[in-house]
Amino acid sequence: MTIDFTALTQLQPLFKQLSSGAHLNRLKDTELWVQLELYQSDYESLFAALGFVLIVDGRGFAYFKTELASAYTGKLTRRLALVIMLLFEYQADQGLHLFQFQQWRLDANLLDQLWQQYFALFEAEEINSPKTLAEILDSATRVGFLISEDNAYRLLPSIHRYLDLFVELGNAERPDQIKEDIKEDML
Amino acid sequence: MSLAQYGFQKLVLLNSAGYSRAELPLDDSVSIIAPNNTGKTSLINALQFLLILNKQHMDFGAHSVENSKRFYFPDNSAYILLEVLLPSGMAVIGCVGKGLSHDYEYFAYQGSLDLDDYRLADGKLVAQPKLIARLFECGKLAKIYPQADLRALLYGNRQKQRADEPDLTIFPLEFTSQAATYQRILTRTLRLDKLDSREVKYYLLEIFKNDLQDRNVDFKSEWDKSFADVNYDKSQYDAVFRNQSLISGMEDSQQTRLLLRGKLILWRPLIEKGLNDWEDYNTSTSEELRLRLQTLEEEAVALEKRHEMIYQDRADAKTALKAQQKIESHYQELIIQFQFVSDLAQLQNQRQLLQKQRDELMRSIVNAEQQQSQEAIARNIAKINKEKVDLNRQLQNVNNNLYLQLQKILPAESFELVTRLLSKSVLSLPVALGSAVELDDETAFHSFAALLASRLSANRLQLPGLLLDLSELEPNLFIKTAQELETEINDCERQLTELNSLLKTVETLTQQKQHQQKLEQQISELLVDEKNYEELLALKVGALERLQTIEALQQKLVLLEQEESVLAEQKKSILLAQEKHKSDQKELQSQFQRINIARQQRLDQQFPFTALEQLPHLPCMESTELAMPTLADRIETYNRDCQKLKQIDEQLNDHLSQLHRDGVSKFQTQDTAEQQLNALFNYTAQLSQEKEAIERKARSAVVQVAAILRDLRDSLETFKRRMREFNNKINRRQLSDLKVFKIEPREEDILVRAIQALISTSEQVESGRSFDLFDQNTMLDDKDLNKAKDILIKEGEARGGLRVEHLFRLVFSIAKENQTPAEFEDIDSAASNGTVLMAKLITGLAMLNQMQDSRKAIKTACYLDEAASLDQRNQRNLIEIAEEFGFTLIFASPEPQITARYCVPIATTKGKNHISRLSWQILENLSDTDK
Ligand SMILES: Nc1ncnc2c1ncn2[C@@H]1O[C@H](COP(=O)(O)OP(=O)(O)OP(=O)(O)O)[C@@H](O)[C@H]1O
Ligand SMILES: [Mg+2]
Repeated sequence: MTIDFTALTQLQPLFKQLSSGAHLNRLKDTELWVQLELYQSDYESLFAALGFVLIVDGRGFAYFKTELASAYTGKLTRRLALVIMLLFEYQADQGLHLFQFQQWRLDANLLDQLWQQYFALFEAEEINSPKTLAEILDSATRVGFLISEDNAYRLLPSIHRYLDLFVELGNAERPDQIKEDIKEDML
Repeated sequence: MSLAQYGFQKLVLLNSAGYSRAELPLDDSVSIIAPNNTGKTSLINALQFLLILNKQHMDFGAHSVENSKRFYFPDNSAYILLEVLLPSGMAVIGCVGKGLSHDYEYFAYQGSLDLDDYRLADGKLVAQPKLIARLFECGKLAKIYPQADLRALLYGNRQKQRADEPDLTIFPLEFTSQAATYQRILTRTLRLDKLDSREVKYYLLEIFKNDLQDRNVDFKSEWDKSFADVNYDKSQYDAVFRNQSLISGMEDSQQTRLLLRGKLILWRPLIEKGLNDWEDYNTSTSEELRLRLQTLEEEAVALEKRHEMIYQDRADAKTALKAQQKIESHYQELIIQFQFVSDLAQLQNQRQLLQKQRDELMRSIVNAEQQQSQEAIARNIAKINKEKVDLNRQLQNVNNNLYLQLQKILPAESFELVTRLLSKSVLSLPVALGSAVELDDETAFHSFAALLASRLSANRLQLPGLLLDLSELEPNLFIKTAQELETEINDCERQLTELNSLLKTVETLTQQKQHQQKLEQQISELLVDEKNYEELLALKVGALERLQTIEALQQKLVLLEQEESVLAEQKKSILLAQEKHKSDQKELQSQFQRINIARQQRLDQQFPFTALEQLPHLPCMESTELAMPTLADRIETYNRDCQKLKQIDEQLNDHLSQLHRDGVSKFQTQDTAEQQLNALFNYTAQLSQEKEAIERKARSAVVQVAAILRDLRDSLETFKRRMREFNNKINRRQLSDLKVFKIEPREEDILVRAIQALISTSEQVESGRSFDLFDQNTMLDDKDLNKAKDILIKEGEARGGLRVEHLFRLVFSIAKENQTPAEFEDIDSAASNGTVLMAKLITGLAMLNQMQDSRKAIKTACYLDEAASLDQRNQRNLIEIAEEFGFTLIFASPEPQITARYCVPIATTKGKNHISRLSWQILENLSDTDK
């Protein structure tokens, strides 16, 4: 198979973003995404040759599948998983449809309430204040799980990864057990 | 079975793919049966030459197309033939080898497929070059078709065919334009390639294309087009809003300008006239001033002259007065001096008395004056006294003096010598004990004298260190006698008496002379007194007259002083008058200069001052009067006003272009700058109404844009509807053990919502429902709306336009009994092999069916190699579904598949495969046979 490199105009930014461990999102990184749509198989085989497994999820996100997680991303992933899971639980309690998570507006108010409701669980993960909560979301923003705009966060399609996991682990009862499982499965 | 009337009847291979002859029924489902590696796959693959046509899309698994050509067309009498029943009758489509390089060509004709047509009398197959002639002989009007033409023929593209051509359409499509898509799906379906949701989406979009308003929406340009006006108006509004304070300043300036113009219009003719009259006024006024000054100068000179005269008179009077007063005071003194003198004679007598005394004294003095002087007489007396003393001493020592002693004891020679050496008085000294000379040792003195004599020689005395010439010295040889001495002493005494009396006389003379002088002085004093007294007498005579003169003089002086002070006053007032006139003159000159300068500085000779009346202005109502002395002030004020007007003109122009630079361009269409300003001011005054107008425009722009988006959204809805129908179609029978098998569109939520946001805004605007709401919260600043717009622009730009396909993706939604559906993008990973095989086939066939014109249904064929991977239930379902979609299914497997209607085993003789009609086994349900 031959790859037409002249067509792969976004190779560099794509590789840079993906190899940094960040997620690409259809609506945030529209241009890169369109490239990926157009030349998905080319990019897949090119990155595969470089030792990366490109996953393009039709729900609007893409990432490199990695086996190993650094201590940092491991911790972040664990904490983020907890935050996201509790967020979903909280929103579900509010009667919101989980699959419309892209429309949620996570403002300071919501984060406060979330923290108040689950502070025992959060503190067990050394998330000691809504501020730490926001810091975790900031970090997640940098790797393409969220977008920050108008003094609020929004979840990006890549959050589906967590959501898939939660659905899969739907039978587990205790949240911290889920947490452990997530740690093993995510990265 | 009426549907089955039209469609494929049989496939025939002659001398191809290792078959000497193969006849395969295609009017119903077939199960080809043969051991592995016999030729089942080869047989069904032969259909590719007739159905796929395009070599590039054909797929022979491990075998290359080149090898396959060799395999299927070993020589020029190799045939692949298909018999089809069409509405126009039976027809044959064929493919024949050309021998050379294993090429092949297509041919077709109307009529049924009779294998005898291809076989010569000698049992050999007809060779390609003779085929058309041979078929013609057999009554079949066959024709050679290039591949592209054949395709057009099969897909019913009448445009590419001549009118006299038979209608050989096998694939009657609803839209012939979809032929290419149909063919690609057909190729895929036959090959059962990997099928993912993106491809399905692509095909379905092609398939439903004609239902969708599938235009490529350049959202940004649509938006920009609709909002061009609004944005322009908004930019104008914003620019004016930003500059409100500048504009209000300009409005003030404009008001000032109108007033100034009115004022200048009023004053211009007055200034003109004033300047005309000025020359006369200047000349006459300055002449008048000159004359007045001249008069004043003359007056001043006269006063000065008079002043000088007074000055002189005063000096004279003062001198005279002083002189008279001096005389008077002298007279008074004399009166006091002579108050005890009765007359002149008294004084004269006194004087004559004194003169007589003086004359007597004079005579005695003359006598005394003939004698020696008093001093000389005194000297003579002293001399004679000394002489008398000397003589007396000599007389006393006459017998015992040194001379005599020396004469007695010394030899003559020595004696003479010693007398020479000693003075007479020494020699005269008495020698005695206790006297001046003592001679106590005569002998010693002898020897000394002898020694002395020895030192003497010829009048020379030689002492150690001293040589004395004695010849010059007289020897004191003579000593007077007592008598002689007594006589001499008497003489001296007489002389002394005489001299003493004389001295007395001389001494009284001085006293007398002094007395005389005193007298002389007294006499001259008396003479002066006499003269003074005479003067007194003379003065006494004019005393009264003199006092009168003095008084007159004093009065005169007083008068003169009074006159002088009056004169000073007059001079002062003349000076003042002169100064005033001079300053008037100066003022006039300065006015002259100012007017000259102002005249040159006049600006009103050029535009716009020459045409002020034509420009907008406010008439000036000031009362006007122009007095000549104020002309300079007036014209200067006038010039200043002109200057000011000019400045305002410039300033307003500056500000106007500043506004232009800042984007205010709305009013530039006005004819004049002034009209531009008025329009601007009006606009600014109505800013809030303008804002409302912009808002209204914005709303209608949204409505416009939304109309385009509505097409997109409607297309999406249509597509979703079509997909529901499509899903119904493939779900008519259960697929394997799947409870759910759907291909479902999943909307791109954010995009669809953005579109929806714009559309619903537009709907609200149209219904006028939220008019009030908009008034408070202007739509142009609506955050959500702007965000929706930005999302659509971004998406549109990244994809070069918005299309319905960007609004959704497709997923395979699959679930078995008692499962919640899972979504897959790639169907290969969704289920087991057989199930996947089936799903793909059904999806493909459903899509093909979708494109076919249902009114002219013609049954074609598709095949499933390795059919054994499906169980019988599924096989049966598959056959039925394919049937419904207009396809006959061909199974190939080592074992017979009893679900098919025909079972066709492959016979092999002498290494050649062979299928004859006679070996076809027809399986029929008992229920079917009952019918
Ligand atoms: N396109 C081709 N070009 C050249 N040779 C071919 C081609 N297709 C099949 N053959 C040859 O024909 C013979 C029969 O092969 P085929 O695949 O038709 O057997 P089969 O009956 O389908 O066997 P199986 O049950 O194993 O699938 C083989 O020797 C094969 O090499
Ligand atoms: Mg085979």
